[in-house]
Amino acid sequence: MNLKISALQFTREVKTGNISVEDFIGKTMEHIEKVDGNLHAFLSLNDNAVNQARDIDKKIKSGDKIGQCFGMPISIKDNICIKDTKTTCASKMLENYIAPYDATVITKLKQQDAIFVGKVNLDEFAMGLSTEFSAYGPSKNPWNTDYVPGGSSGGSAVSVSAFECVASLGSDTGGSVRNPASFCSTVGYKPTYGLISRYGLISYANSIEQIGPLTRTVEDAAFMLNLIAGLDSNDNTTINNNNADYLKDIDSGIEGKKIGIIKEMIGEGINPTVLSATKNAISKLEELGAICEEVSLDMVKYSVAAYYAITTTEAGSNLARYDNLRYGYDFSVEGYAFNAYIEKARKKLGPEVTRRMILGGFVPSSGYAGKYFLKALKVKSKLTRQIDEAFKKFDLLISPTVPILPFKIGEKINDPASLFLIDINTVTANLTGKPAISIPYAISNGLPIGIQLIANSMNDKLLLQAARALEKTVKLPEVPI
Amino acid sequence: MTKIGLEIHSQLTELQSKLFCSCKANYREFQPNENICPICMGLPGSLPQLNQKAVEKATMIAMALNCSTPEKITFFRKNYFYPDLPKNFQITQLNIYGETSVGGPGILMVGDKKIRITRIQLEEDPGRIIYEGSSEKNQITLVDYNRAGTPLVEIVTEPDFENPKEVREFLNILSDLLANLGVSDPSLEGAMRADANVSIEDGNKVEIKNIGSFHDLEKAVHFEITRQQSLHARNIPIIQETRHWDDKRKITVSSRSKEEDLDYRYFLESDIPWVRIGNQIKDKLKSEMPETISSKKERYVSKYNIPAQVADVLSSDKFYSDLFEKSHTTENAKEVANIITTDLMGLVDTREKRESSKLTALHLKEIADSIQSGKITRNSAKNVLYEILKTGKAVSTVISDLDLDNVFSESELLKIIESVISEETQAVEQAKTNPQTINYLVGKVMQKTKGKADPTYTLDLLKKKIN
Amino acid sequence: MVSREEIEHVAKLMRIEIDDPTIYEGVDKMIGYFDILDSAGVESEEISAREIELSNLREDKHIPFGEKLIEKLNHYKGTYVRAPKMV
Repeated sequence: MNLKISALQFTREVKTGNISVEDFIGKTMEHIEKVDGNLHAFLSLNDNAVNQARDIDKKIKSGDKIGQCFGMPISIKDNICIKDTKTTCASKMLENYIAPYDATVITKLKQQDAIFVGKVNLDEFAMGLSTEFSAYGPSKNPWNTDYVPGGSSGGSAVSVSAFECVASLGSDTGGSVRNPASFCSTVGYKPTYGLISRYGLISYANSIEQIGPLTRTVEDAAFMLNLIAGLDSNDNTTINNNNADYLKDIDSGIEGKKIGIIKEMIGEGINPTVLSATKNAISKLEELGAICEEVSLDMVKYSVAAYYAITTTEAGSNLARYDNLRYGYDFSVEGYAFNAYIEKARKKLGPEVTRRMILGGFVPSSGYAGKYFLKALKVKSKLTRQIDEAFKKFDLLISPTVPILPFKIGEKINDPASLFLIDINTVTANLTGKPAISIPYAISNGLPIGIQLIANSMNDKLLLQAARALEKTVKLPEVPI
Repeated sequence: MTKIGLEIHSQLTELQSKLFCSCKANYREFQPNENICPICMGLPGSLPQLNQKAVEKATMIAMALNCSTPEKITFFRKNYFYPDLPKNFQITQLNIYGETSVGGPGILMVGDKKIRITRIQLEEDPGRIIYEGSSEKNQITLVDYNRAGTPLVEIVTEPDFENPKEVREFLNILSDLLANLGVSDPSLEGAMRADANVSIEDGNKVEIKNIGSFHDLEKAVHFEITRQQSLHARNIPIIQETRHWDDKRKITVSSRSKEEDLDYRYFLESDIPWVRIGNQIKDKLKSEMPETISSKKERYVSKYNIPAQVADVLSSDKFYSDLFEKSHTTENAKEVANIITTDLMGLVDTREKRESSKLTALHLKEIADSIQSGKITRNSAKNVLYEILKTGKAVSTVISDLDLDNVFSESELLKIIESVISEETQAVEQAKTNPQTINYLVGKVMQKTKGKADPTYTLDLLKKKIN
Repeated sequence: MVSREEIEHVAKLMRIEIDDPTIYEGVDKMIGYFDILDSAGVESEEISAREIELSNLREDKHIPFGEKLIEKLNHYKGTYVRAPKMV
């Protein structure tokens, strides 16, 4: 059984009867059993997966109507709610929390006969970019297990890259899908803000985050988008995509397209190997008929500060509900006064979340809101104007997804400031609501490098076509597991 | 000079669902925590789904209070920890990025006095806390979230009131106005609540919270003015503070703020995009607004010749004016108004009685018509109403059951009058000099006719006969 | 530079008890980093926001959740949620 096939290959193989879903899921679960002790992508597994697979096989045999996923094994970041299953956000605060409802993306995938093999690791409440802030321990990069897989959707990237599933859903607040995709050599896609419903995604910074797929191929990302995108009455911020088919015409190529190379994203602090990979990708795109030119977005310099000011503010409010009264872990209120109880209960929040909670109290507080929060919102507006201006001239923008190579576990955890550089290329798409994708492009000394493409809002289809064109120029070695 | 300002919270009780989810707006019929869902419980991953009608109704309130209404409205988060607040923030409105709350400055007239409205905002009500235990030591705090997320409109006034009486008059007019708009039923328990701020002689402002009813509000304001005046008289400074109304002792008590840091960290609720309310929508809402109380009153007077005082009472009560609208014809309007204001309002004077009443508009129309056609007397209307309220029987059935028809003809009535005159010679003599005595004779006639004679008519006939 | 007292005040506001002394430095560093926003020159910038049409908002209809949600949450004395003392 070849577990390395893409999502679309999987559906074709099942459709033609070449493989049975039960077999594939069974083998997948065995494989997880074998490798995940070391990789630690999963926080919980679906014990019922093989039974569900058997049911789908039965449906196929009896000629019943079958969903487009055909029992495809998918992993879900553990900040997305699946009804009646544990949803922990990799936090001790939600150690025993069982979600009582399905996220909209989960409802949609269930309707398409997807099988959720398990919930995967993340930095606690998605705050981080290495999974080192998971309360349940870090995941490891399958390319080299001494290295971080990136984050916060690290578990998603590891599970796809190590063949523990065919595709995964993560969430991207400042690069949390694209960063681990880049570090683990998978495709990672953050759609236009509002294209995918956030209902059931546990909020970290709700004004800028989106659910996004991590897949083996660009086509798979388009396929996943077809299944989960669109207007949702449960989320007032969703937009109507008129049931666009993102797979159709995906091989259109990029001849004649204008691509802007974002100057601020290949400057100071960039790793030379990453820079040369980026230049190489640009020349490949030019060979395919694209016209590439440098463009400056000077607000990018302030984007990471604005990003942290906005995200900590929103997180401070979004995470206020974790007071352990209505749900949470076992800790009696007996004998406590209100404030004392809440403070004590919230001690289960980890160090990074705690730090960001305090910042989130600081930034919008009456004495500082004008200095920090309002300015951050204004930077966001100006950056959006600048990028909109750039899209008048260019169809797409390009940069490396992350300016550096994956780093070792423990190497940067105590130096939050050094992590700012890692975010610089990804946060712009979140702050401006634009779609962005990371495409596996190179392996340097056994460590992956991803290239990021950004398109204008609602130009997700064009973005996927360009990503597909670039992907076709690449032949990468297989992950050494 | 005394200055009083108000913050009135009115639930939009006539809506079907909560402000951000599809749970029921009227939470009163449920067992604790039975009217909840992941959204109003603020469960991880849930998002607010703004109720369209709540925005429309709140905008109507703004229009009815002559407030400006912005092109776009936004929501903000007010962040503070409290057990009745499932998300530990409240979604509300604010004007920090320009005027974006449902209503801007407006005016409501109370008689000849202008009360300025500062703003109107749409927000969610928290849950309810129930305290058990006899002392602080053994206190048990229980929370029922059925109310959490109920749509609430907050109306903030300028400190334009000078005494508790003006406050009461304003609140009466406002609650009639909200009821007339069909947005809120002020008679529902907890549907309308208010906080007040009071200052005297341009001194510090004191806020009074936790006032359970409008009745108590008047008392609380009165108490607070007296308290401040007595401090002022003794040259003791008045501290700017929040005080709570102690319902049992009927005094205001300083709420030692343990919350030394009331910083709500307001910021935009981005889960709800800015809602555009263009002129087209505003025009449409305006056209859907029910007739105002003052316009109704004017119409009742000019069209039906109903006395101004009766028209005033009738128009300001939505329940009765609705009933009037459904039961009257051009011919019987005055009679219907009369029956409602003199008989029905006395019989149906509580919410419970309104709800259990079996009276329909048709009943009322038929009673008025029966009076006008002379089938029954005005006097009998009350008895008929009383019976119908209980049983809901048809008017004709009730009239014959109670034997109220067969009103005496003039000649029959004259015969009875003559017999009374001959029986009561002494009273007749007295009546010639003392007009009071004639009422005694009317009573005698009514006795003989079992109340079926028309008393006014009888009086006329008696007067003619005696003189 | 943000004082220890200020950080403690905000932590209290956020119901966070600081027991890790490195928090102070971490927060101070971040706040210091935010100072670069001062040089972005965005004072005159308008804040932008997404919009939704009134007609696209949720219809006012009562739809019960359909399950006894409280049974899946912490409950006490029947169906109440218990909170600590409010004294």
